[in-house]
Amino acid sequence: MGFFENVMLAVSGLRSNKMRAFLTMLGIIIGIGSVIGISTLGSIMENSVMDIFNSQGGANLVGFQITMKDDASRDYIMSDDFMTAEMANDIGERFAEDIDAIALMSGSESGKMTIRRKDYDISLYGVSPGYIKQSMTKLVAGRYVSEKDCEQYRHICVISDKQAKKRFGSERGAIGRSVSLTLSDGTITDLTIVGVYQYQLTAMMSTMVNMMGDDWNSEIYMPYSTFNRMRGVNDDTFYGFNLNTKTGVSAEEFCQKVETYLNSTYYRDNDAVEVMYITAESQMAMIDDVMGMLELAISVIAGISLLVGGIGVMNIMLVSVTERTREIGVRKAMGAPNSAIRTQFIVESMIICLIGGVIGILFGILLGNLAGVIVGTMASPTIGSIALAVGFSMAIGVFFGYYPANKAAKLDPIEALRYE
Amino acid sequence: MKNKITPPSYSYGKVNNIVPPEASKYVICAKDIVKSFYIGTPNELEILHGMTFNVPKGEFVSIVGQSGSGKSTLMNIIGALDRPTSGSYYLDGIDVSTANDKELSAIRNKQIGFVFQTFNLIARTSALKNIELPMLYGGIPSKQRKERARELLEIVEMSDRAGHMPNELSGGQKQRIAIARAMANDPSIILADEPTGALDSKTGRLVMDLFHKLHREQGKTIVLITHNNELAEETDRIITISDGNIISDTGNRNKLRKEAEE
Repeated sequence: MGFFENVMLAVSGLRSNKMRAFLTMLGIIIGIGSVIGISTLGSIMENSVMDIFNSQGGANLVGFQITMKDDASRDYIMSDDFMTAEMANDIGERFAEDIDAIALMSGSESGKMTIRRKDYDISLYGVSPGYIKQSMTKLVAGRYVSEKDCEQYRHICVISDKQAKKRFGSERGAIGRSVSLTLSDGTITDLTIVGVYQYQLTAMMSTMVNMMGDDWNSEIYMPYSTFNRMRGVNDDTFYGFNLNTKTGVSAEEFCQKVETYLNSTYYRDNDAVEVMYITAESQMAMIDDVMGMLELAISVIAGISLLVGGIGVMNIMLVSVTERTREIGVRKAMGAPNSAIRTQFIVESMIICLIGGVIGILFGILLGNLAGVIVGTMASPTIGSIALAVGFSMAIGVFFGYYPANKAAKLDPIEALRYE
Repeated sequence: MKNKITPPSYSYGKVNNIVPPEASKYVICAKDIVKSFYIGTPNELEILHGMTFNVPKGEFVSIVGQSGSGKSTLMNIIGALDRPTSGSYYLDGIDVSTANDKELSAIRNKQIGFVFQTFNLIARTSALKNIELPMLYGGIPSKQRKERARELLEIVEMSDRAGHMPNELSGGQKQRIAIARAMANDPSIILADEPTGALDSKTGRLVMDLFHKLHREQGKTIVLITHNNELAEETDRIITISDGNIISDTGNRNKLRKEAEE
């Protein structure tokens, strides 16, 4: 008896009891659906991150900042610990052949932005000109922080497009408006908005962001000089700097070189603070790690759901074997060997799981892309993951169908024919 | 009947080389058949106490007995659904008593056509597909199966019902399809277990007429199992069993009559 005949037999059997077949498939649908859904979402995120990463020359962007040593002798940072413009210049000259551009950041503060007597959480960054241009952002209205802003201690700032839209209606509408900021130490300052940048990472992470509250995209940039004066520290005090390496330079190697140089030259005698580097790549890897954890968690859930689904399939197959005892008897009387009966029921269980798996894949693609619509990118799961899902669902069919099928195959034809 | 189908060569695994001479002369050659149940337990029960009978090719024989006489047990053995506890049973020269399960399947498939009291057609499967079933397990290709099934439908005068599902057929029609199915692989014997038991007398008559037709026109060997003496009277030979023993065997009355007339 051919495979095709078994398939036809199984399909006609399922068609005669559609509701039951569907309910049986549900576990498989949910299991496979969630696996495919999450892998679709994963590739969507990866795609959008990669897009930004590549378009902004992300692989070339690296940062150096001060950090507490593991065995620090104190637990606070003193003004002597900060980086200076001199260090940045030194690096710029020393490694000139590897560096494209360099920009400093004096530090960051968390605080609140008050608009029409309402407070919104923000993070404030004091930066040198070019800093924003360098980071993975794009200007959509107005201008960046300039040299003049820094020299003249201007009270200006650049905010994100999301904030501009939310607080002022449009990106352009925000230009020229004044905001009142209250920092965590209670300092109050008024800043005029001169530019709006596009917060690209927001787009890709909006799903996560929505879960964490809408303050993710609340980074505000202002001139480092104004920032430092406001905090009462020396102008020439920087928390760190960003730089773009030239294309073709290995970011990791370069960073290690610079880090070693900085630590051995400027921080050798410092027993509390050292310099560490961050590459865009390492941050990407962090995002990947998070995604990996998420995928693992969902995979475990999916695995449990597939297990439960498989047990459901086994249960229904046992019911089906009992219901069709007489039919099995007749088939045996007509000369069906045990192996043919076994194959018939295994194929039936496989077909249930396969159809469930295919519906699950479609369901998963739909689900993943639904999330993709919010994020703004579409993606389809990889052929590999589809093949894996199909193969896996069929394997479930065989695994959980074997016991009932074997039970059917081993029925005594006389008993089976007599079964009422 | 001219059989258009050459079944693929098959073997029953171990073919007993020492076939007793009478086994090759008869379609059914049963010798000292004993069937016991619950062997080795205190409840051991011997149902058949050593039955010996032969059925030559082309005979229409009925086995008659009251319920509890061992009729069903004998039918299961004749039908290769079960093996005798002791004794030998050759079906068309093939040793059934020592066959394993797989061999029994092949014997049932090729040598035996079952007709049941309750028809036992496969539900949700068309008449044509039902007839194809034994050929399906016999490994006959789809095209040949269909041809043969249509041919059989014609023989049982059901050609216009080929696509009908069993639940769209009357009892008599179902039984005719079942008979066509029993003939599918051109078996050595047709084994009919109370084939008219679930039918009214008029359709029962039609079914019996069909058996006579197959016997007469195609020379089929038919074993009819019944408790109805009237039906048994129509057949060539009546074997009566009671309490697991053959109590009478008329021999082939038609043949005897014919010989007497000559």
